[in-house]
Amino acid sequence: MARKLIAPRRRRPDPRTPSAHRQGALLRLCTAIAAANDEREIYESVVNGLHDEAIGYDFLGVFLLDAATGDRVLRASIGWPDVPAGWRVHAGEGLSERALEDGKLHYTSDVTRAAGYLPSLASGSEADVPLRVHGETIGVLVVESTEPNAFGPADFEILEAAANQAGIAVERARLLEAERRRPDEHKALNDTMADLSSELELSKVLQFVIARAVSLLGVTGGEVAIYEEETDDLVVVASEHIGKASTGTRLRIGEGAMGTVARTLEPLIIPSYHEWAGHSAKYDDVVVHSVMAAPLLIGRRLVGAIATVHADPARVFNGEDLRLLKLFAPQAAIAIENARLYAAAHRQRQYFGELVRNSPVAIVTLNREYHIVECNPAFENLFGYTQAEAVGRDLDALITTQTTRGEAQTYSRDALDRPVHGIGRRQRKDGTMVDVELLGVPVIVDGERVGLMGLYHDITELLGARRDAEAANKAKSEFLASMSHELRTPLNAIIGYSEMVREELEETGHPQLQQDVGKIGIAGRHLLSLINDILDLSKIEAGKMELHLETFAIAPMLDDVVTTATPLVEKNGNQLDVRRPSEGMAMHADLTKVRQMLLNLLSNASKFTERGTVTLAAELRCDTVVFTIADTGIGMTPAQLSRLFTAFAQGDAATSGKYGGTGLGLAITKRFAHLMGGDVWVESAAGAGSTFTIRIPLHVQPDHALRSHTDDGGRSTDG
Amino acid sequence: MVRILLVEDNEMNRDMLSRRLERRGYEVTMAVDGRQGVEMALVGKFDLVLMDMSLPEVDGWEATRQLRAAPATKAVPVIALTAHAMAGDRERAIEAGADDYDTKPIELPRLLGKMEALLKKKA
Repeated sequence: MARKLIAPRRRRPDPRTPSAHRQGALLRLCTAIAAANDEREIYESVVNGLHDEAIGYDFLGVFLLDAATGDRVLRASIGWPDVPAGWRVHAGEGLSERALEDGKLHYTSDVTRAAGYLPSLASGSEADVPLRVHGETIGVLVVESTEPNAFGPADFEILEAAANQAGIAVERARLLEAERRRPDEHKALNDTMADLSSELELSKVLQFVIARAVSLLGVTGGEVAIYEEETDDLVVVASEHIGKASTGTRLRIGEGAMGTVARTLEPLIIPSYHEWAGHSAKYDDVVVHSVMAAPLLIGRRLVGAIATVHADPARVFNGEDLRLLKLFAPQAAIAIENARLYAAAHRQRQYFGELVRNSPVAIVTLNREYHIVECNPAFENLFGYTQAEAVGRDLDALITTQTTRGEAQTYSRDALDRPVHGIGRRQRKDGTMVDVELLGVPVIVDGERVGLMGLYHDITELLGARRDAEAANKAKSEFLASMSHELRTPLNAIIGYSEMVREELEETGHPQLQQDVGKIGIAGRHLLSLINDILDLSKIEAGKMELHLETFAIAPMLDDVVTTATPLVEKNGNQLDVRRPSEGMAMHADLTKVRQMLLNLLSNASKFTERGTVTLAAELRCDTVVFTIADTGIGMTPAQLSRLFTAFAQGDAATSGKYGGTGLGLAITKRFAHLMGGDVWVESAAGAGSTFTIRIPLHVQPDHALRSHTDDGGRSTDG
Repeated sequence: MVRILLVEDNEMNRDMLSRRLERRGYEVTMAVDGRQGVEMALVGKFDLVLMDMSLPEVDGWEATRQLRAAPATKAVPVIALTAHAMAGDRERAIEAGADDYDTKPIELPRLLGKMEALLKKKA
């Protein structure tokens, strides 16, 4: 055997010792073995009994097989002062391995001549007796002598008898131990489950788990580590009797016993930690002998690792220990997972809590009875009630007045079913009123309506700004209307007098002056048409444009328009192509506005077409009169088209310089069409002419004027 | 000679229109507000009244109604002169009893056409 035995063999068994004497010693040995409380005592009884004066072996030891490694581990010995319990003989070394392999006693009369003899050892003869439990060899009893040929059949008889007794005792001790442990096991598991369902901190639960595991396994200590996904590290969070508390120690995946099981996801028994290649330097200061570690898994997902250690070199982890550890591992894993889920839920709740708390929007939650459950600081600020004052109160009674209570209650009732949105006035604690935009949504948890949430946004300023803007816009329109009107009076005089002077000059014959005065008249009329356009538009925007509906025949109206437009069309060398509807066709609309629209479009078409054709057509489609004004002129790009019906926008600055006009004609045309419940649109491409289409109901309804009032005047926000 | 009563408060419009009509052979008498217009119409035996609508004292609509109500003037044609800006004025003028209307600024040929049509009808 490979070992460091240097102590002298004091004596060898005396074959002359009377048999009865030895039988008595053997009986005492058996009694001692039977009285042993546990395995350790059994092995000590064996070596002590065989050392007894009556039997007289001086150098002997009991080795147990470490199934994980194949090593023999010394559990008890006599006469070997240099080797402590826990000392290991590795697989493949020494003579005693044969007894383990075949389960039979092997006698070596002169170890110096035997294969496997190691020259460093001084030895004579050796007997290796298998220790068998339930037919399985669990270890070996080694008896040595300093002299060769020291043992005979009488020795073998005694040694085998002792080994058999020991085997029986070990089997019984193990059964007893299992029996003894089982209630402890159940208790430990039950206690752990109770911890899991309580609201203990994770580190506390895990500390309880590892403390119980340590106690039940009868080990020196143990620890539990959590797998930290962000860092890919294991972090020790619970530690029981491992050096100076190993809590906080970080292990990389693959580092040390727990790091290794975290990588392999399989349990691991390490017989001698500090000699193990995978050991971590972080445990250099800790007295650790053998280590048993297991990964903590949820399914196949790693959540941590658990390890128990023996500081006692004599102790070896076996299958039973592993079974126990595997009982605790899932519980620790569940504890970690629960804590993780709880922390995630808690974080989520905190997150949403912070969102609500920091929201500038006043938020309040109500139960099904519309009583306040919670409100945020913005709510407190907006309405002047602290959360403490508000909780439990009926929201609709708290922030309403007699006039708004009914409306508020309707919102609340509806909001229990579906989202509602509206604008209203609510009362603050100090009695002042506040304009709010409000939003109510049902709160549904697992399909059950548990209440509702109300959101309030202070729109006092917004409404004020809107009122100011509306007032400013109205003032602008009124100013434009009155100014246009005032401008017209002197302009009428200019036009009238120039006309009159031209007539007089016609009679008296001053051709040059006649032309000049004519130009004054033309410029005056142009200015007048611009003023009229501005006036129309401002009236539309001020909501003061009225419809004057009458029934009129379409064909004569077209003729009238053509008469007026012909000079314009012909000015650029264009031809006018008119497609009249049947003579009797009549429509009910605002005649003046329809004429003005057609004239606007004809004027445009003539302006932007040279030596081409302008077509004016009217036809009836169902209940709609469709007017088409097409030209073969310069057309428009998509960018120009997009701004076309906007007031004061022409193709571009160059266009307006060349072709004149305010750019109001199309905007007015479109608004007139809308006033009458119709529409106007254009199809055009640059260089390919334009086609404008006006659609007016055959019989315009008076209420269209009312409806189209808000057409361009801002959005209505009532809800 | 055809006798025209022109009721118009604006001096330049009055001067201008009267001179243009006179040049075409009408005899034009002028009133500067609605009340004066009615007074003169009741005694003046005019063939036609050109009535501005926006007048001081009594406005054109009221003056027209009074002319229509008075036996002496109820058959005298009235042409209402309305501003373009006041689109509603036109219907109100017809409702008040005007026979026709024209918009300012006056396009003389158009106005003359309307005047002649009414005078012919009356004759």
